[in-house]
Amino acid sequence: MILFVWVLSFFGQIPEKQDTVSLSEIEVNAAVLERYSQGQKQITWKKEDLALVGSQSLGELLSAQSPVFIREYGPGMLASPSFRGTSAGHTAIFWNGMPLNSPSLGQSDLSLLPVFAFESASLHFGSNGALIGNEAIGGSLHLNSENKFDQGSEFSFTQEIGSFGQSNTQLKGSFSSKKFYSQTKFYRHFTENNFSFRNLALPETPIQKQHHARVNQQGIVQDLAWKITENKKLKTALWYHDADREIQPPMGSSTQDQQQDQSLRWVLDYERYGDKSTIQLKTGFIAENQIFNESLNRTKQFILGAEWDYQAHEHWFFHLGTRFTHQTGELSTYQALDQRAELFQSVKFEPSEKLDIALNLRQIAYSERIQPWIPSLGLGWTFWENRSQELKLNLSGGKGFKVPTLNDRFWSPGGNPDLLPENSWTSEAGLEWKSGTLEQSLTGYYMNVDNWIIWLPQGNVWSPENIRKVRSEGIEYQGKVFFKTGEITWTNLWQYSLNRAVSIRGISENDPSLGKQLPYTPQHQANFSIKAHYRAFYLFAQNTFTGKRNVTADNPRTLDAFSLSDLALGCSGFQLGDLKIPVQFRIQNLFNTEYQVLYLRPMPGRSYHINLSIQL
Amino acid sequence: MKKHLFHFSKVIALAFILFSCTNSETEKPLGEFDSGILIMNEGAFGSNDGEVYHLNPATDELKPNIFESANGRPFAGLLQDLVLENDQLYLVANTGKIEIVNSGDFASIGAVTADLDQPRSLTVNSGKLFISDYGPYDADFNTPDSYIAVVQDVNGGGVTNKIPVSRKPEDLISFGKFILVAGSEEGIVEVIDAEEEEVIETIEVEGSPKVFFEANGGIYLFSTSLEEVTIYSFNLDDFTTASTDVFPISNATGKIAFGNDGIMYLIRSSGFPDYVDAVATLSLFNSTVNPTWYEGSGFYGIGADPLRGEIYLANANGFQGNGTVTVLDESGNEVRDFEVGRGPSGFLMR
Repeated sequence: MILFVWVLSFFGQIPEKQDTVSLSEIEVNAAVLERYSQGQKQITWKKEDLALVGSQSLGELLSAQSPVFIREYGPGMLASPSFRGTSAGHTAIFWNGMPLNSPSLGQSDLSLLPVFAFESASLHFGSNGALIGNEAIGGSLHLNSENKFDQGSEFSFTQEIGSFGQSNTQLKGSFSSKKFYSQTKFYRHFTENNFSFRNLALPETPIQKQHHARVNQQGIVQDLAWKITENKKLKTALWYHDADREIQPPMGSSTQDQQQDQSLRWVLDYERYGDKSTIQLKTGFIAENQIFNESLNRTKQFILGAEWDYQAHEHWFFHLGTRFTHQTGELSTYQALDQRAELFQSVKFEPSEKLDIALNLRQIAYSERIQPWIPSLGLGWTFWENRSQELKLNLSGGKGFKVPTLNDRFWSPGGNPDLLPENSWTSEAGLEWKSGTLEQSLTGYYMNVDNWIIWLPQGNVWSPENIRKVRSEGIEYQGKVFFKTGEITWTNLWQYSLNRAVSIRGISENDPSLGKQLPYTPQHQANFSIKAHYRAFYLFAQNTFTGKRNVTADNPRTLDAFSLSDLALGCSGFQLGDLKIPVQFRIQNLFNTEYQVLYLRPMPGRSYHINLSIQL
Repeated sequence: MKKHLFHFSKVIALAFILFSCTNSETEKPLGEFDSGILIMNEGAFGSNDGEVYHLNPATDELKPNIFESANGRPFAGLLQDLVLENDQLYLVANTGKIEIVNSGDFASIGAVTADLDQPRSLTVNSGKLFISDYGPYDADFNTPDSYIAVVQDVNGGGVTNKIPVSRKPEDLISFGKFILVAGSEEGIVEVIDAEEEEVIETIEVEGSPKVFFEANGGIYLFSTSLEEVTIYSFNLDDFTTASTDVFPISNATGKIAFGNDGIMYLIRSSGFPDYVDAVATLSLFNSTVNPTWYEGSGFYGIGADPLRGEIYLANANGFQGNGTVTVLDESGNEVRDFEVGRGPSGFLMR
């Protein structure tokens, strides 16, 4: 995982001109994450894919282009992932190998992660605590910077304005020589969010304007890399993000909550590579402040790690690593400290180009507890192939775990220091079929999550317990095709996912939720996108379908399914001397669909956005 | 201390149900919901999915979400209290609104939708609505600016005045042009002149004043503290306490119901971390106390049906989904149980 950035950047494996989301694509000179995650489904977004949605948040990207269901409390409000039926804290999220999930909350707000801040993203499906670590139960998400040497200097300024008072400004400048790379980004994303909605909480259900949902986010990202010698590199990245949000109340509430989030993230990597081995040393720091109505919560994480990757033989690859994590929390009701030590080992056997098998193991110690046995095993086998077609079988199984968060253990009153880690077992089987430029894959999975932590009221105090056991099973189908008609180049992507996630142990034997679909977990999701290129012009359209969701664990109230369409027209660059001026006109929620992702949380109707860049 | 204060009849006891209420004298055809049992489901925090269910105890027919069914829109609030005044039902949402419906068919009559923070209860007096409201939270989650909001029309409308009161006012009760306010956090009962819209007297009491009820033409207050409960009566001519009866019942939550033979049923909860709940009984005729009449956990509301001799005990099931109601006979035996809405917290016997 950690070597991913380096391997890609050093060998330049990201093809710059490819303009599609790369489904299930395994990098050829595989970085660690790819090298040892055989048999597990993944989706990758490259720089060009992200450029199309560069003014959006990670939540919006995943919502439109992946089977991850985003529980969104309003546009720009808290957006948390639900991956294969799991909860918000069951998706591990990393930025350049640094864990982004809050130590106190155990989850991330995807509205606070602008796509502009990183250069590529990959989504890994299923439990893989051995390879990825804590919180990889439903899956994991990896956001990465890149550093490319000898590219000269580039500068771009982008301004987007849109409906509901949206104004996004982005500045990017980079410089690289043969030995040095620097990129600086600044962004400010503002929206008044004064969209109209039908207020179901009032008599006559009048159409009203949202008046308490303003969002102002700004940040700076600095990437630096120094090629010390041909086989040694030092790189670092710094990301400061500041968000100030009016919290949109649910219909029927008149709360005027205000939330500020500030994050400072820093990572430093030293890499040394030889013919057969690479060594990476990593350190990093994340400090977060969250101020909710003047109530201040602060957390800090410090990380130190080392990894060694070794190709022992033509067919054998080994990986060893260790990581130490030091976390502190100064919350409004408690102060706490947590320290973790992890060891992880991977081995891959690749008897031929068509078959590879990987075994991963991890041990973690925290707070006087040890998890000694976290394995995963995967296999990828291209079992049939001719000149234009290929069939590949993927099989994998693994364990995932989540150490209880600081809030779970120490919140006062109610925190439960005796909580056990949540743990999961996933198995999945998938088939990939490539036929010319048509690619399709079908994956089935089965997962059990045990010791699922839920907070229950004990009188006026809520306290977490290892209560629930959940079985999640499903099918994911996706496809991609690429073709030309005359001068027009077409790229189509489509996905469908079926998920059944049910509680098989609840708060009591008579728990009415037993055997029923978990709340806010759609059984059916689908998306479809089409992109047509004609010379410098393009048209991009996408449609997302989200099936009905249950509001509570026992399903008496459901929210309607909804389908959203977006349309973008653009030109990748008018040329004015040395200046290139890409423009995009975009319509979101094209058919003005009235919908709620979560009960009584209104979402905006149709919106228009104009995006103009100046590139030098 | 007067111990044998109360002389209940079954008919009077009916009027003492948790929601202190007065029945209209006017004759009119009974609506579907003018008989039976209304079940108040508070809803879950952040979801605003409070609702009212209706149970016909003769047939066991249960109608869910009767507000939404009658009005074609969700209640969209956390339902804190259900107050019946003059054939109108006032649905008090602690998320900041009052919905006013016809008590027979639940059709919307009006609402108070602005200028409220955390309404708790309501009374009608002098042709006006008086709404107890915690007021907004400050940075430390205290509520220093609690008030009684005044609305000039019993069918709703805008808030015209806010009368400052002690922190966290709960129940209200009217007599004549006066209103008593249970100031739950500071142990104060305020007396408000409804015409002048001002506090004219304060009465200090022990514990946390929770619920008013009427008996024998007088007004009584149920107040809780850690180790005991106290029942006060008042001299209404000079606004002083007339009697104070203390009963050794610990951990009472303030949820009470009145059954036959002067039996008061009280929910007790040890709270975190032991978390043992119980229903205690208190005989108002002879002061007999049974602190563990029925035991369990998750008890969130209680009601009594004196005509059938049944006790309705609501369990919120951890707010993970719908709650359940267990029906008990007067000996504490379980008669039946059924699923209701989310966070069932009280019953209104019609």
